[in-house]
Amino acid sequence: MNVLSANGAAKSAARGNKREDFLSLHSVSQHFDRGKDFFTRKSKGVVKAVDNVSLTIREGEILGLVGESGCGKTTLSRTIMQLIRPTSGLICLEGKELSALPDREIRHERINFQMIFQDPYASLNPRMTVFDALAEAIRTRHPTARGKALRQRVIELLRLVGLNPAQMKKYPHEFSGGQRQRVAIARALAPEPKLIIADEPVSALDVSIQSQILNLLKKLRDDMGLTMIFISHDLSVVRYIADRIAVMYLGRIVELGDAERVVDDPLHIYTRALMSAIPQPDPRIERSRKRVILQGDPPSPLNPLSGCSFWPRSPVPHDERMKTVEPELVEIDPGHFAANCPFCLERSA
Amino acid sequence: MALLEVRDLSTSFYMRGGVVRAVDNVSIELDRGETLGIVGESGSGKSVTCYSILRLIQEPGRIDGGSVMFDGEDLLKVSRSRIRDIRGKRISMIFQDPMTSLNPFLRVSTQMVEALKLHTDIDHKAALHKSIACLEEVGIADAAKRIHGYPHEFSGGMRQRVMIATALIMEPDLLIADEPTTALDVTIQAQILDLIKRQQEQLGTAVILVTHDLGVVAGTCDRVNVMYAGRVVESGTTDQIFYEAKHPYTQALQKAIPSLHTKGDLLYTVPGMPPDMAKPIQGCAFYPRCPYPKLGEPDGPPPELVELGDGHCVQDCQYCDRSKPIEEVLSKDVPEAVE
Repeated sequence: MNVLSANGAAKSAARGNKREDFLSLHSVSQHFDRGKDFFTRKSKGVVKAVDNVSLTIREGEILGLVGESGCGKTTLSRTIMQLIRPTSGLICLEGKELSALPDREIRHERINFQMIFQDPYASLNPRMTVFDALAEAIRTRHPTARGKALRQRVIELLRLVGLNPAQMKKYPHEFSGGQRQRVAIARALAPEPKLIIADEPVSALDVSIQSQILNLLKKLRDDMGLTMIFISHDLSVVRYIADRIAVMYLGRIVELGDAERVVDDPLHIYTRALMSAIPQPDPRIERSRKRVILQGDPPSPLNPLSGCSFWPRSPVPHDERMKTVEPELVEIDPGHFAANCPFCLERSA
Repeated sequence: MALLEVRDLSTSFYMRGGVVRAVDNVSIELDRGETLGIVGESGSGKSVTCYSILRLIQEPGRIDGGSVMFDGEDLLKVSRSRIRDIRGKRISMIFQDPMTSLNPFLRVSTQMVEALKLHTDIDHKAALHKSIACLEEVGIADAAKRIHGYPHEFSGGMRQRVMIATALIMEPDLLIADEPTTALDVTIQAQILDLIKRQQEQLGTAVILVTHDLGVVAGTCDRVNVMYAGRVVESGTTDQIFYEAKHPYTQALQKAIPSLHTKGDLLYTVPGMPPDMAKPIQGCAFYPRCPYPKLGEPDGPPPELVELGDGHCVQDCQYCDRSKPIEEVLSKDVPEAVE
């Protein structure tokens, strides 16, 4: 019996009719007001953590979200889950508008989203056995599950992620990092979610363990038709696992397209710089290639820059127009979007 | 003569639950201006090796034996005041997390000037000038003003630049960088690695770069030591390690990482996990995870490092049959659970 037999997503994925707009975001913004200064009563400014993001996720696809720290990857995923309500914009799951639901209903709706976090040491309750943790997660979907049926489900979930069901009475500290991440994945699958958000799930793991977890995620997607947002700062990991990649910079998406296209033929200079910064495990390539080295750090989202926010770091020559013209995400090749700043898109750079 | 010659260095931690041999018979050789990479997973003894070189091991850890010859002196035998003199002046170290290695209560200027005054007879004003020049050298804009700031006012990449400037201000002969870019973004990592390389070329410093990232090694190191469970399993030039790797661990590691050009459906995986170091290891530590056909149960001492020629050394393991290419024996499946 398939663990996710009750999951509509898995069923329709198996039938082959995948929804194009499984999850859709329309100009979603998440602004944090820092309040007023106590003495001067002046506004301390607004942090635009996510700014005007629009995208759709197909059913059964893995969308990779890449960017430097502080670019809004995690905030965007929290906004999608409605853990923080968006400042403006629409978020729809299977055509149902989540951002309009009242708080009471959103709690119920959230069963459809599950997260896998970076640090499996911190994301599992140290006082719960693996069985307890999974049973609790199963009961969020099936409140009456108990006894033999519940046990059966836990065993299936553990098998699914490559853990020995005999270990289900153990506590998290008895497992290694890679095994703990498998428990975390099993727990995310337990409530039969429609969408899984994996926030840097392999960054804390050793290289030889990392490939085990990546293979597992890919296999689960292929076997069960999971829809997933995979957040990472490592473009080579994202390129491996994702179908499409969205590159974020300062709260905005600067490039979006098929994983292979974005990596092999990037349009935006930032994507190219990000890629050239990734060290390749091949000395000959490393010696011969030229780096696009970005100057300085990403600017603070607290003082939003006008125009294309990439100008303080841009390695290409530019003039005042870059600071004034606000770029938009446009479809440049079919299915391949990029922010249309004329300087950032120059292919000759 | 080599600048640094580490021979059969062993360090153990004497815990209540048993003895952990964190570093076991490690030998390193390093010339001036050369960069040596030490790669391995967490717990493989990379950092403990570096701490042992500088005698920074704290209780319950103890250096059990071996020698660390640095420019004709055995650092494990010299007096405490002598080693304090060498630390920071002739051998500097930078750590993974720049926030924890800078004092949050002191201005950057105080910390940099302190390092200078400790090792040279320099007055405050001259020391400050030199510090500012050093910060400018590592690419901190407006250094004369920024130097009076506190560490929290700097971003992660800038803090690591401050650390590098402080480490290089005495123009040391050897720089030990322990995962200097692991906590940073890739774009900042590229800047920092570039900076270390430039400074090294300028000053002729020898560098030991500890990392778990094979990509970083490929771009920066001349020679590489691969460590597993406290031992060096393979060492050689960067090209030898990347193109002629002989040890199954080195080979499997390279196959397991996705690169920007990885095609195909699943990655190669190394089954199992690193051994529990508190338990005694019989024979080859990699044996339980080794994908090659097994020839017999491992027992006795760990396999010796054998030179294959041109300085390429590899652990000569007798327990597995390594005649086939690694691609044929590695699996691409999600490994099954082990009891």
